[in-house]
Amino acid sequence: MFKTIKEVLRTGNATVKYPFAPLERPQDVRGKPEHNHVKCMVCSACAVACPPNAIQTPLDMREGTKTWSINYGRCVFCGRCEEVCPSKAIRLGTEFELAVMTKEDMEELCVYHLQACTQCGSHFAPAKQVAYVARILAQGKDTNTAAQKLEYAKVCPKCKQKYDVQRLMEQSKEEGEWLC
Amino acid sequence: MNDKELRSGETHVLSAKERFPEAVRGVSWSADNQVVIESTPKQAPELVEHLYYERDGWFSVLVGNDERPLNGRYALYYVLSMEGADPCFCTVRVEVPADSCEFYSASSRVPAVIWGEREVQDMFGLKALGITDRRNLVLPDDWPEGLYPLRKDTMDYRHRPEPTTDVENYEFLYETAGHDTTVMPMGPLHITSDEPGHFRLFVEGEDIIDADYRMFYVHRGMEKCAESRMNYDTVPFLAERICGICGFAHSVAYVETIEKAQQIEVPLRAQYIRSIILETERLHSHLLNLGLVCHFSGFDTGFHHMFRVREKSMDLAEMLTGARKTYGLNLIGGVRRDILAEQKLATLKCLDELRTDVKHLVDELLSTPHFLKRTEGIGILDKGVARDYSPVGPTIRGSGFARDARWLHPYDGYKFIERSPITQESCDVKGRTLVRIDEFMDSLSIIGELLENTPGGPILNESWSHEPHRFAVALTEAPRGEDLHWSMIGDNQKCYRWRAKASTYSNWPPLRYMFRGNTISDAAMIVGSIDPCYSCAERVAVIDVKSKKQQVLSRQQLESYCRNRKHSPLEKSTVII
Repeated sequence: MFKTIKEVLRTGNATVKYPFAPLERPQDVRGKPEHNHVKCMVCSACAVACPPNAIQTPLDMREGTKTWSINYGRCVFCGRCEEVCPSKAIRLGTEFELAVMTKEDMEELCVYHLQACTQCGSHFAPAKQVAYVARILAQGKDTNTAAQKLEYAKVCPKCKQKYDVQRLMEQSKEEGEWLC
Repeated sequence: MNDKELRSGETHVLSAKERFPEAVRGVSWSADNQVVIESTPKQAPELVEHLYYERDGWFSVLVGNDERPLNGRYALYYVLSMEGADPCFCTVRVEVPADSCEFYSASSRVPAVIWGEREVQDMFGLKALGITDRRNLVLPDDWPEGLYPLRKDTMDYRHRPEPTTDVENYEFLYETAGHDTTVMPMGPLHITSDEPGHFRLFVEGEDIIDADYRMFYVHRGMEKCAESRMNYDTVPFLAERICGICGFAHSVAYVETIEKAQQIEVPLRAQYIRSIILETERLHSHLLNLGLVCHFSGFDTGFHHMFRVREKSMDLAEMLTGARKTYGLNLIGGVRRDILAEQKLATLKCLDELRTDVKHLVDELLSTPHFLKRTEGIGILDKGVARDYSPVGPTIRGSGFARDARWLHPYDGYKFIERSPITQESCDVKGRTLVRIDEFMDSLSIIGELLENTPGGPILNESWSHEPHRFAVALTEAPRGEDLHWSMIGDNQKCYRWRAKASTYSNWPPLRYMFRGNTISDAAMIVGSIDPCYSCAERVAVIDVKSKKQQVLSRQQLESYCRNRKHSPLEKSTVII
């Protein structure tokens, strides 16, 4: 009995002011994933890694778009997306109060355009990824070939194959022999 | 042959071969300390019995596997943890023909296997010949006949069959030996346990003569989900959600099945970090149970103080892992988050605070005469029953058996420190509580020791490949006992079969014997002492068998009776039906 009273006096008040005052949390706590739409290239690495499929990246070939979407209702805050993102476009923040009034508000979307092939007009990859590749190619010393490669980057794989075959055929005709 | 030349577990194989020369069809090793004995179906029960009783084996789990796509048959794996000389895991593998689906039950020889065999009957539609209990275990009463969820060709994991009946057809068993008893159902949502379970206490006056219970009301189908929907490398995050308390223990156990089966090396630092976090988990779990023991013995001040202190251990976990629970730390091959120098210092400081705080509280608790009276001699887990049913964790250590996976089958950081299991001889609720108190203090010193000795280096090994259809078991000592996982990766980036056994799964079967001879007011106390997951639940109905009267008690009524032991709710005349 006395021990109990002594212990009560020793500990004092244990309650915290939250929610009337902000809750102090460790800095690297895993809260709400924050998406940076500028850095993101919709490569889908996060969607592949996401265990509960909270992040999805559906393609719409007719509209020529790829949508990056996250459903915070499904998210388990594991932070795999942050870990696998090649462009550091997603980071887990410290925000944890994610309650909303309607289910739809749990979802956030970001729609990206796909690159249309300069040859056949079909969509083949997110425009941002193509631009990224083009930027890397443009860093090459030989500016002529860089410009050429930049044009080449905007061609879809199918047209590239065709182009390659054509070029090979022309080459072999010139050299007078066929590759088998 | 020299002893040193024998592989781990080979002595058990030799002994089995000597006793049952025709039973052993083949022997292989699925990992260093895991031997698999291929047995003929007919002699498998005898072989399991031999390993269990004569070779100091304890039954861990029975894994059923639909291997028809691989070899045209089903297979059963009786996993035994060998804890005498030559400690290792012995798995007895039996093939079950796909046409007859029949196998010989070992339940009459080794009572511990009963839940496992009932489960494979439900999940795979196999028939156990001579099984001692034919009732459903996992499947509900209204489940359609002939639909076996874990067969590869039966159902999609999203399929929700229509209920086939509204009538409860589960038969509760009792041995009342001529006593004139009243049935007291608790559930379907149990008073103290958040896993909905339905208890029937067969009482004479206030005394419990026998008890039976039924679980699995909210079976989540995680194993099926992992096999069909998840990739094998995302399963750690699902495994973590098996339990809200020992989640990390589950995720470590899962990743280690893959690491053992595929022989993936885990960096030393990662092994230490895993052990540190496992012990942190034990801190908050044991404080939770100590708090609840206070609560159920009517010492609510103690309950509040235990939970106040527990908050510190939760903060500690949050600081180390980034989340209060579901730490999300494990990947196959290591861990994702390092422990930095300042975190180490903060942890050591926190451990000191916890040590002083809990010491004060424990002194207080153990000097409360009321607490001692409520726990001494209550809920006796007889040693014989314990040996027959292979319970785990503080439940069995409170009955004097030194079963602790950390020291019997050392894994991760535990390989590098010397300790021995903490036991108590009194077999009662008090014994189990004392084990938890001592283990809490032990955990504090283990974390300190591991933190001091953690070697530097990488924490994640990412360069490995996997070979389909290799399997292994791995276990961790969670706060309530061993969490044992068994997994086999398929050839499609998924688990071919994943079997997770949570610790309390092993502790339910012997609970019946712990109830016997106690009073209703001790029931919550006894269930509490095996530390299942707690939560508030609905209400209790009491049925008088003779007059068919049913009385519904509120949770407060039963709980307050458990705490005060005055004003028995059964004496009131508020009969509803």
